[in-house]
Amino acid sequence: MLPIRQFFARFFIPLVLVIAASLPANSQDRTAILAEICSGDFAAQQSALGQLASAGVEHGEAGANWARAIVDAFEGRDLRCGDGIAVIDGNAGPIMAETLEPTIGVDPEGLDAPSVNLRLRAVASSANAVLRLYTEAEAAERLSAASYIDRRREAATATNIGAALELETDPDVRAVLTTLRASLLLSDADPTNRIGAIEAIAEDATLRNRTTIAEAIKSETDAAVIASGETALASIDRTLAIGQVLATLYAGASYASVLFLAALGLAIIFGLMGVINLAQGELIMVGAYAAWFTQEAIRYALPGLLDYYLIIAIPVSFLAAALVGLIMEVLVIRRLYDRPLMTLLATWAISILLINTVRVTIGSQNLEFHQPGYVAGGFPIIGDFIMTSNRLFAIAIAVLAFIAVVVLLRKSLFGMNVRAVTQNRSMAGAVGIDTRRTDMMAFALGSGLAGLAGLALSPLYNVNPGMGTGFIVDSFMVVVLGGVGSLIGAIIAALGIGQINVIIEPIYGAVAAKVFVLLMVIVFIQWRPEGLFAPKGRR
Amino acid sequence: MKRRSFVKGLITASAGSVISSPWVAQKTFAAAHSDTVKLGCLFSSSGTMANIEGRLNFVARMAAEEINAKGGVLGKTVEVVTTDPGSDWPLYAQLGRQLIQQEEVAATFGCWTSVSRKTVLPVVEQNDALLYYPLHFEGEENSKNVVYLNSPPSSSVLPAVKYLMSEEGGSAKRFFMLGSDYVWPRTINQQLKGYWAEQGIEPDAWREEYVPFGHSNFQTLINEIREFANQPGGQPVVILTVVGNSIPDFFREYVNQGVSAFDVPVLGLDALEADFEGLDTSSLVGHLNCWAYLQNAEGPSNQEFLANWASYVETNDVPFRPDVAIDPMISTYDGVHLWALAAEKAGSFDVPAVRDASAGLTFACPSGYEISMTGENNYVKRGVFIGSLNESQGFDILWQSPDTPEPVPFSPYMNT
Repeated sequence: MLPIRQFFARFFIPLVLVIAASLPANSQDRTAILAEICSGDFAAQQSALGQLASAGVEHGEAGANWARAIVDAFEGRDLRCGDGIAVIDGNAGPIMAETLEPTIGVDPEGLDAPSVNLRLRAVASSANAVLRLYTEAEAAERLSAASYIDRRREAATATNIGAALELETDPDVRAVLTTLRASLLLSDADPTNRIGAIEAIAEDATLRNRTTIAEAIKSETDAAVIASGETALASIDRTLAIGQVLATLYAGASYASVLFLAALGLAIIFGLMGVINLAQGELIMVGAYAAWFTQEAIRYALPGLLDYYLIIAIPVSFLAAALVGLIMEVLVIRRLYDRPLMTLLATWAISILLINTVRVTIGSQNLEFHQPGYVAGGFPIIGDFIMTSNRLFAIAIAVLAFIAVVVLLRKSLFGMNVRAVTQNRSMAGAVGIDTRRTDMMAFALGSGLAGLAGLALSPLYNVNPGMGTGFIVDSFMVVVLGGVGSLIGAIIAALGIGQINVIIEPIYGAVAAKVFVLLMVIVFIQWRPEGLFAPKGRR
Repeated sequence: MKRRSFVKGLITASAGSVISSPWVAQKTFAAAHSDTVKLGCLFSSSGTMANIEGRLNFVARMAAEEINAKGGVLGKTVEVVTTDPGSDWPLYAQLGRQLIQQEEVAATFGCWTSVSRKTVLPVVEQNDALLYYPLHFEGEENSKNVVYLNSPPSSSVLPAVKYLMSEEGGSAKRFFMLGSDYVWPRTINQQLKGYWAEQGIEPDAWREEYVPFGHSNFQTLINEIREFANQPGGQPVVILTVVGNSIPDFFREYVNQGVSAFDVPVLGLDALEADFEGLDTSSLVGHLNCWAYLQNAEGPSNQEFLANWASYVETNDVPFRPDVAIDPMISTYDGVHLWALAAEKAGSFDVPAVRDASAGLTFACPSGYEISMTGENNYVKRGVFIGSLNESQGFDILWQSPDTPEPVPFSPYMNT
């Protein structure tokens, strides 16, 4: 329920205004605006959208409601134009655009939709947001409209935002609109307003706003305005520099999390057990497909939980890949522990088998994943630095997986067995550890972790049968560089490779960054063949 | 999934893995069946191009079936031999040679990327064979052994860039060129730079970046695009020439960093309906592409093609979507029919005779245009479409050419 005052402000006062002043002129205006929007002439359409956005200024909520219906129809391509008439052909049946009454004797089939190009669509969506300020009853809706206009100002003017501000009662929305209105006065006649505009714009320190201010003070003559502009630019520059550093760090960390996730399972299988598993990438793929099947199952059985499928799929992906790993170990790898080259060939064959099995049974197209809110979009942090949620998700899973594995290896009986077998297999056997079983479980754990990586990477990468092959070189690189058998080494190596990559990329390009990183790894391995952290075990 | 197809798949897959990953799928039994004529396909079913190239094998088969249903060509049944070059460029040449010399195919249909065409080129020229190439490409090539089924830049990229620079298209003033690092993006960008220079646009209004094939981490580059876009100088656009699976990766990051088509539209020169299969396109609406066919093309011949493809997918268990058709599919389809028409007209399957008979042939393309082969070279006159991405992973037609413009193989802007 709206408070009484707000109720009056939003419904009653505009209603009186409409009845008292604007009905006759309104009808003529409507015809003229519709004629312009139907004209197919780009400039006329643009001006018509501008007038529609300002319809709330004089005609209040009734005018805004009508204008919003037209803009919606234009954006949604429901508007149909004929000789002197315009019809909205929406879901609820055709209505006359001018009166929003049902059509009588007009067949919308024979009418054409006006063309909507990218420019007009941008103006229309901005106009729509302005009109939402006048027509939405919920303050939260108006707030989202106001912050949308802040980014998309094509249809916003100091007048139509000012009029909306006068009607507005919610303090949060008022605050946004006040800044917005001030920032629209950059070319106002009054220098105080111009300074106010500069200050309002500088509140959001982005490169785009910096450009706006810099362009404005180029043609500025008033010394006070120029001084205020220069202060604003200096402050924006500081924020932008911080944002840039953070963005680089974040990009590096997120790339590192991808590398680390892909390499974590391998760090156990290759690092601890010494098995060169070329099917590791395909285990990642298995994990991603398991996540997709979970999503489909939830979509079918419990559609309400669809947004949480990535969480629900964590055990599924882990177990699916672990199971595949277990089968591989029992059928093939167990027989080849003392023949590393044979393992290499056998795991390679398994990887091709897995790829082609998926290709023939499910197909080679990219799978479509539902993107819940927590892996879509991003949050602007500071300056132009946007923290993208899908990468944040991958970082979080990487950190959690790392902690879980360290705890498992350090604190559990199974972990102790694995470490014992790694350090000295025959001695471990002699003190009563079932080395066979330990090998099997460790291999399943490494495979399961690869499956987990597949899940975490599914919001970032294309999921298709060949997705795993891209990871195999990178993950071996991380494990070897980090030091075979060292989890800490793997994490440091991943961070190092990730960070160096994103630092080089903007300077010399992505191709050079890849070459450079590989060269560095080669040189490093020449100098320190055991990697960053040498294993302490006896082999 | 059906159990039989699963078992069948397992057997095929394991057979494949034993022999080696890429293989010639259909071994022939006798050297030459007198009542069949063979066509070869060089399209990858694995590697980074698999998702889009793979479906062309099936379209070629479908076109061959259509021809066979009408009695074949010169009384012979058309048989399609497919291969899997595995997105590995040198392998295209090797398998191409195998198709021509061992399988003795009458014509080859193949290649997506220009780099694969360039590796096959010497093979078809040495053997005086015919390669039907279904992709729009960078031009600058005119071999008597290649039939260029799709458009050179003059009738694909340039109209689209001109549209973006027009007032209606958003008056683009600044250009960020991002491509995969190989001959097609580099040549296209070279020509575009020549064109802009001629239009009096200063070199600081554009930037050029390249990424390796299969590149997937676009964080840094999209940061740079945002930075480029926010500098003064007018409306920025991205001319995207990355290929394969890099395309969805690029757009995913683009959306997540909050860049919309309103701010910086992307002209995806290799972007197709199929690239968006795994993406939610509601926040990508408005990005552009340009091809000689879009799935939304009007006309009965398109409806017929789409219906045929859907039923072909159903009946043959094709592992691709029945409701998605992309330009290279249409071009391949046109190519098989153009070859059949030429062979009929020549009364022979000999390459020189087929080539001579090709001049001036016309075919009712599903795009709605009556396409025709030029008289003086092996280019095909196609229509031009500019598409705008919609919510349902398809492209709406923003603009289409009134007729089929004359293809210009060698760009006048190449060396300016």
